[in-house]
Order: sequence, then C-alpha cells, then structure tokens
Amino acid sequence: MALPRLRTVVLVSGAALLTRRALRRRIARSPLWPLPALPEPVSGHSKRRATSARRLLITGRSEVADGVVQLRLEGAGLPRWEPGAHLDLVLPSGLVRQYSLCGDPEDSGAYTVATRLVEDGRGGSREVHEQLQEGLEVEVRGPRNRFPLTGAPGYVFVVGGIGITPVLPMLRSLAASGADWRLLYGGRSRGSMPFLEEIEKLGADGDRVTVVAQDEAGHPDVAAALTGLAPGTAVYCCGPEPLMDAVAAALPEGHPLHLERFSAATGDAAGPGSGAFEVELRRSGRTVPVAAGQSVLAAVRAAAPHVAYSCEQGFCGTCQQRVLEGEIDHRDDLLTDDERGESMLICVSRCRGGRLVLDL
Amino acid sequence: MSNTQPAAVASERTPLKARKVSFAWEKTPLHWVPGDPFTTHTINVLHLLLPAGERWFIHVYRQILPYIHDDQLREDVIGFIGQEAVHSQAHDDVLPHLRELGLDPTPYTAQVDWFFEKLLGDRTLPPGRASKWWLMERVATIAAIEHYTAFLGDWILNADALDRRGADPTMLDLLRWHGAEEVEHRSVAFDVFMHVDGGYRRRVRTWAAAFSALIFLWQRGTRFFMENDPTLLGGKASFKAFHASGKQGTLPSTGAILRSVPSYLSRSYHPSQEGSTAQAVDYLAHSPAALAAETPGTATTGRS
Repeated sequence: MALPRLRTVVLVSGAALLTRRALRRRIARSPLWPLPALPEPVSGHSKRRATSARRLLITGRSEVADGVVQLRLEGAGLPRWEPGAHLDLVLPSGLVRQYSLCGDPEDSGAYTVATRLVEDGRGGSREVHEQLQEGLEVEVRGPRNRFPLTGAPGYVFVVGGIGITPVLPMLRSLAASGADWRLLYGGRSRGSMPFLEEIEKLGADGDRVTVVAQDEAGHPDVAAALTGLAPGTAVYCCGPEPLMDAVAAALPEGHPLHLERFSAATGDAAGPGSGAFEVELRRSGRTVPVAAGQSVLAAVRAAAPHVAYSCEQGFCGTCQQRVLEGEIDHRDDLLTDDERGESMLICVSRCRGGRLVLDL
Repeated sequence: MSNTQPAAVASERTPLKARKVSFAWEKTPLHWVPGDPFTTHTINVLHLLLPAGERWFIHVYRQILPYIHDDQLREDVIGFIGQEAVHSQAHDDVLPHLRELGLDPTPYTAQVDWFFEKLLGDRTLPPGRASKWWLMERVATIAAIEHYTAFLGDWILNADALDRRGADPTMLDLLRWHGAEEVEHRSVAFDVFMHVDGGYRRRVRTWAAAFSALIFLWQRGTRFFMENDPTLLGGKASFKAFHASGKQGTLPSTGAILRSVPSYLSRSYHPSQEGSTAQAVDYLAHSPAALAAETPGTATTGRS
C-alpha cells in the first residue's frame, strides 16, 4: 500500500516540476505565451512625432555658400529619416519653418539643415541667420517626408539654388547604390550654390552633373535635360516657382514628377500647405475659407456645426471625412494608405493646393 | 430578468473633452518609485496594455456609434473616444523611454498588439449575426474593463503613499491626469452597454473574461519587467509582494480589488455611484500637463 502511494507522489511532483520548468522557459522567451505576437508591433513603434517637441543644441554653424548658413543640431536618439525629409524648426519668435535635412540619415545624434537668407522674405530665414547661434537650443518637430525618393529605373533632378538641400541626401544614397541619375543644378553664381564641390565629386563618373550659374551662362536649359529620358525615369524638381513651372511644361508623358515647393526648402514661407485655402462642402453646397494656421475642422464647423470630432490631434479618427477633390496634405499617422487616398482627418490635415472638396 | 434599474447619480456627469497633454520623459528614472522596482513595474504594466487596449476601445466604439440613439450619450461617446485616443498616445510615448533605459518592452507589447488587434479584432467571427453578437460582447467587455480603469483612476488620485515615497512627478502627473479622466468618463462605457444591450448574463460573462484576462496580462507583465530589468539580478514578481505594497498604499489593496467584484455584479450598480467627479475635475484644474495643454505655445510640461 505504502509503496505505490510513494511512487505516485514522486511521479506527480516530478511531472509538476518538469511542467513548471517548461512553462518558465517558454514565458521567458515569450512573455504572454501561448499568445503569438503581431509580426509588426504597433505599440511603442509609432512613426508619428512624439507628442512633445524636441529641443536640440546648435553645435555647428557655418556659411557653406554666399548667404547660406548650415546648422548642426545635436540631440540623442533622434528618429531616423529618409532622403527628402524635412524638419520643423520652432524659431525663438514662435515662427515655425520647414527646412530639408541635408546631413546623414543614419546619424541618430544630429540633424543638419541649411538655409538661405531671403532679404525680402517673411522673417523666418533672417531669424535663423541672425538668432540661431552656436550653443543655443532650438525646438524641432519631425522629421516628416513629403518628398520621398521612390523606386525608379533612373532619376533626373532639376534643382534651383537652395532647393539642393533635400536632393543632396538623395544623390548620396543613389551614388552609393550605383543607380542611374543626372542633375541639372542652377543658381545665381557658383559662389551662391551650396555643396557644389561634393556634388561634382558624386557625379564625377559619367558626366552626371550639369551646373549652370546665371552670371556665367544664363538660365538652365530645362527642356534639354528632359528630352530623351528612358521610360519610367522619375523627375524630381525643387526650386523657385518658375523653374518648377518650366519642368512641368517640358516634361514628356509617362514620367512621374516629384515637386518640393521651393518655399519649403528655403523655409521662408510657412511650409507646403500651411497657408490659406478654401474648402467646398459639396453636399451642403457651401464653400468656406480656411485661414493660414486655422484647422479645416475649425473652418468647417462654422458652416456645419454638427460635424463630429473629438481629440483634435489626429489620433482618434472621429473627424475623418471623405475627400472628393483636391490634393490632401496628410498630417496624421492614423489613417492607412488606402484611407488616405480618399479621406482625411480634418482636425490636423490640410491642403497642398488651393482647394479641397469634402463630401459633407 | 431583474427589474432593478441601475441608478445614475446625475451630479456626477460632466462634459467630456480631450486635453492636449504631453510629457517630457528624459528625466524620469527607470525606478520612478525610488527604491521600489516591484511597485514601479506593476504600475508600468499600464504602459504595456493601454496603448493597444485603448486603441481597441476606439476601434470598437467607432462601430457602435450607429447603434446609439440618444444625443447626449452620443456626445459622451465621442468625448470618450477623444480622451481614450490621447491616453493611448500618452502611454505609448513612455515605451521608447523604457527602451532607452535598457528595458525593451517590444516582446510583450507585440503580443498585446496581437491580443487586441487579432484575437479581439473584427474577424474573430464571420460577418452577419455573429459579428453583431461579437460587437455587443466587446462593448460589454469594455464596460467591465472601464469599471477597473475607474477603480484605478480613483485609487491613483488618492494614493498619497506614492507622493510620500518621492515618486517621479511627471509619471504621477501622467497617471493622475489619466486617472482623473477615467473617473470623469467612468459612466460612459456602462451607459453604452446598457443602451445597446444591457443583458445581465452578458455583463457577468464579459466581466469574468475581462477580469481573468486582466489578471493574466498584469501578472505576466510585472513578471516580464522584473525579469528583464537590466538593474535587477534575479528580479521576481510575487503575489506576496503585491499584497505587501497594497498594505503600504503604493498599490491598490487586495481587499479593495476583491470588493470591486460584487459591486460591478450588483444589479443596481452604476459607475457614478463610486468615485468623485469633483475630485477628478479638481485634479485636472491643477495638473501640470492639463494646464500646459490649455496654454497655447507650451507643448511640453516643464519640470521644476
């Protein structure tokens, strides 16, 4: 009688010990075992900017061309970015200006921006040039990318002056991967064109770079640069308005065109889509103006007080509206790419052109 | 079926508004309750569960809106959605900070993401009647979970022991701002459930599921943090430690948790009978983060 009972006790406690060990091993590897994990974790991996702005220390300030100042902004654990991205700088006066990042995307310890002084601008570039000195802290938001480098068999860049800033990291990345690219780079004078030396070095193999200084050779020949493009070649343009118009006019069919408003690159206007535009509410038959700095939601509420909204920060999705026409400047990180095609969160997102039409 | 009607306390109702808070985490230490990693990590489990959990609330509530035929309740639900969205983001912002301190939460959060997005997602059941049933089941589950968020909210607003221990002021403000908003909107989830379904058997069933899930997730979460904390050797989580912290007032007491069970299951229960809206609103009137959110131009709460 006693022996079999002892054997049972030994067997049961042995099994219990083994089970406990096996469980512990599994839970150590997988904290919520037996639940699986989402292949692409969402929590804690948001690409949206943190709700708090960062303060970065200005550790370098140099004049890289006539009237162009380059700033190095240092911080720790900075989010990575892709070529074409820009940063919002909150200037001491409270003005917010966008500047393209032109440093090394892999560097998580510093961002680099360059800005040209615009004498008759609205004060942003003057403030950068006069107030942002080494040793000061500046508040930044972002980075965000509205001018991303997409996959293409070949690339042509048409750039005017300070518009080179978002393009420079693209050229570096393309040169490193051995892609096929060409650059037409225009400016007032060679002395006023930043990064010339590096760019000519990048394009040294195979005549990729054409530099046209206005005081030597007049305006760049955009039409010539865009003739005889291989099929599918992507065209990127960043520069003053007339240059972008010339590119759009000369572009042959079948080539995707990527534009970055010059104002965003120089930062001497309130970035793409921060300005005023109008919103048509198609079903109500009304059109409301949206002032610079005013949200679409605020403007629409004046005409349609019952429109639903809640958090007003682009998080909750309550204010999502269908968009019938117009180019949306998405500023949330909630909507999926599919949803972005035909809808927007009117509390934070804006318009890249002059007009949006909502199904409201 | 009982005829007992849950009695709402009218004076506890307040209009709901999302506050645009933000917190700067750079100066918050790993053990933000000084010298007490167990309490720190038990509360830190909130940062693991809430980002995915509150996103899921919003996902479900956006689907329930068409079933709500009461303007005032609809307004409450929309306010609730906004507040929950900001809560989810605010806790999500803590996670990268934990990673920087050497405690990467991803192995756990990726599984919680699966739990809320897949297991409790829309496709667990086929469309049609089953999916309506599943929606109601989830709405009832949210009501049960909100019973506990209100319980915790009320607890943290009164947890003076944490102040006496010198807990990090930014973390306390996050928890109390969140707790106060949970107390503010504590009736919404229950009202929604009563409005669209209200069945007592469903209330009991989903309470049992939610309570078991919370205990499972919380126990594993505390254990995960204690075992992976780079500053602890052989860190362990135990019920004994939990009970002891509860006695000291740095965590909710075991007794209070047990007492919360019959209160939710009582047929005359209504969330407005517990907790104090006045206290919550009073905290929000002084919370550094909530105050900063009202002043344009100050995006980040400062620390003295």
